[in-house]
Amino acid sequence: MDARILLVEDDPSIREVTAIGLRNAGFTVETASDGREGLDRFEAEAFDLVLLDIMLPRLDGLEVCRAIRKTSMIPVVMLTARADTIDVVVGLEAGADDYVRKPFEVPELVARVRAALRRVGQRPEDDTSRLTLGPLVIDIAGRAVTRDGREIPLTRTEFDLLVDLTRHAGQVLARDTLLDRIWGYDYLGDSRLVDVAVGRLRAKIEADPAAPALILTVRGAGYKAAR
Amino acid sequence: MSRLRGVRARLAVTLVALVALTAAVLGVGASWFVDTRLHDRALQDAAAQAGFDLSVIVPGRQLPAAPTRDDIVRSGLAETFRQRNVETIVDLGSGDPFVSREDLVGALDRLPADLRDRVARGELAYAWADVAGVPSLVVGGREPAGGPAFYFVRNVSDITAAVGQLRLALAAGAVLLLVIALLAARIVARGVLAPVEAASRAAERIERGDLSARVPVTSRDEFGTWADRFNRMAAALADTIARLEVAQAQNRRFVADVAHELRTPLAALVAEASIVGEHLDDLPPESRRAGELLVADVRRLRSLVEELMELSRFDAAAERVALEPVDVMRLVQAVTAARLATARFDPPAPSVVVDTDPRRLERILGNLLDNAREHAPDSPVEIELSVTPEQLTLGVLDRGPGVPEGDLDRIFDRFAKLDPSRHGGSSGLGLAIAAEHAALLGGHLEASNRDVGGLRIALVLPLAVTRSLPAGDETAIRGPEAGDPISSTREPIP
Repeated sequence: MDARILLVEDDPSIREVTAIGLRNAGFTVETASDGREGLDRFEAEAFDLVLLDIMLPRLDGLEVCRAIRKTSMIPVVMLTARADTIDVVVGLEAGADDYVRKPFEVPELVARVRAALRRVGQRPEDDTSRLTLGPLVIDIAGRAVTRDGREIPLTRTEFDLLVDLTRHAGQVLARDTLLDRIWGYDYLGDSRLVDVAVGRLRAKIEADPAAPALILTVRGAGYKAAR
Repeated sequence: MSRLRGVRARLAVTLVALVALTAAVLGVGASWFVDTRLHDRALQDAAAQAGFDLSVIVPGRQLPAAPTRDDIVRSGLAETFRQRNVETIVDLGSGDPFVSREDLVGALDRLPADLRDRVARGELAYAWADVAGVPSLVVGGREPAGGPAFYFVRNVSDITAAVGQLRLALAAGAVLLLVIALLAARIVARGVLAPVEAASRAAERIERGDLSARVPVTSRDEFGTWADRFNRMAAALADTIARLEVAQAQNRRFVADVAHELRTPLAALVAEASIVGEHLDDLPPESRRAGELLVADVRRLRSLVEELMELSRFDAAAERVALEPVDVMRLVQAVTAARLATARFDPPAPSVVVDTDPRRLERILGNLLDNAREHAPDSPVEIELSVTPEQLTLGVLDRGPGVPEGDLDRIFDRFAKLDPSRHGGSSGLGLAIAAEHAALLGGHLEASNRDVGGLRIALVLPLAVTRSLPAGDETAIRGPEAGDPISSTREPIP
């Protein structure tokens, strides 16, 4: 696996040891020590994934994430100091796909990075089928969603979530089921990942995100796509 | 309050009794005095008049020595006396006395014998008597030269009536005074008791934790001084408590700051140790053991710092509960699989959805499982879950050594290491944290030793909303496995 990873982290020790760990796991790692430098490198070179600390000098991680999302659907994994609701939710809403809580052990981080990259890699090239959900047309091979002929830009996480729900339209998918299938958590991930991703997805595909008609919440159980 | 009412009642009773006694003494005295004075004056007048009449008027009419009734009638004496409102009875000694008015017939015989005796002896005598049904003053006498006895009957019913009216007026006055006394008692009681009640209310507020409560200082008397003292005491109390709170807050902030400052180097340490841990086998033998210990100690340090930070967030009251519907059975299964897969959990038949904070519930159960693993290593651990409409009970039961009964309460204290010989990986904060989470969810933890040996720690959570899932819904929630028929349309791209 020779994926290229951009690691943006201000603490030199953490940056160095994280880079070592990722390189040991076979990744190519470039590093940046503040948000501005990180964004510059991201724009100058091609990467497969960005690891982004939230508390960064000059430009904080959330700003960097929002700037990246303006032009790219690349997987972004946040490194958060706390698993506080605010930090996590704000990070996810800025467009991050996943987060890893500090302190982390390197194998744990590598597993999250691999899970995020695996989703990108799982491109079912042979699957030339299309799905429809209400007015949406989902082109699986092209990873594109259109509504009335106009393409809606979705991150990989949002796209995978939409496809999974649409494939099982009418069936309730529990949040931990979705965490397992989309994010690759085999147990006890943070169900807020699902909630925030569903919220972001709704904001993009629903006519009225406050009264969703395509992706429905089933209280106490999970989510389902309208049949 | 009842004591205050008691003071009020005592004050009223005392005042009313005093007023009643005073009114009675004054009333009785006044009526007696007036009564006596009126009678005395009437008597003096009557006696003087009678003396004058007997010595001047009667002799002036030239009556014979032994006059008859006709002599008296003819003399016109009775008419003369009647002009002065005095009726006349003349005892002629014949048993047939002269009377100036028809209804006085027979009255002579009913006069007091004493009066008649004294008159017969030639004295001027008097008596208060009822004559023909009228209260009267009777004065009797005879001419100094002798002759018939004259009795002058004077109607004194006006005196009786006047004294009666006076008594009535006095009684009315007394009643009025009593009413005034009652009102005065109330007003005085209110004046006296208002500061007491104000202080009582202030003390009650202080008792409930409102240290800003004060007593109004409304006067410069003893009450004012006392209220001022009370307020100073309350201020001193508030001051002391504020100082203690500041000290405690500083203490807690220090712990939080320390934990916070440790965070970044700790994050580096954890990552570094994890890499060392992966390559322990590559280390030369003389440093391998040190590497192993390093990895284990970094883990210990990590959990200690993280738990300190978690507790300092509780202390800063920075924790908020995020309620959502939670399928408790699934949560228990997931936490068990992650934290202590060997624990036995027989889920109750119908699962339940409870409105609670799943992350806290996970944390509580996880810490209870960690505790069981730590203190009862290799013992079979069971998880019990029971839900009633009122409460949820989630217990972790081990078969370890248990805890001495006297120490059961202490196991939820911070750094409660009851067995000093045990230096496991635990920080001694896990159960304290679980207890804080439980309290935040509105529940509590309870610990008890099991009859079969071992410890049971249970979360008891009162429930606001609980719903049973309909039977058979489980599959729908789990969702279809891969390979299930896809329900959406599939069409080849043209």
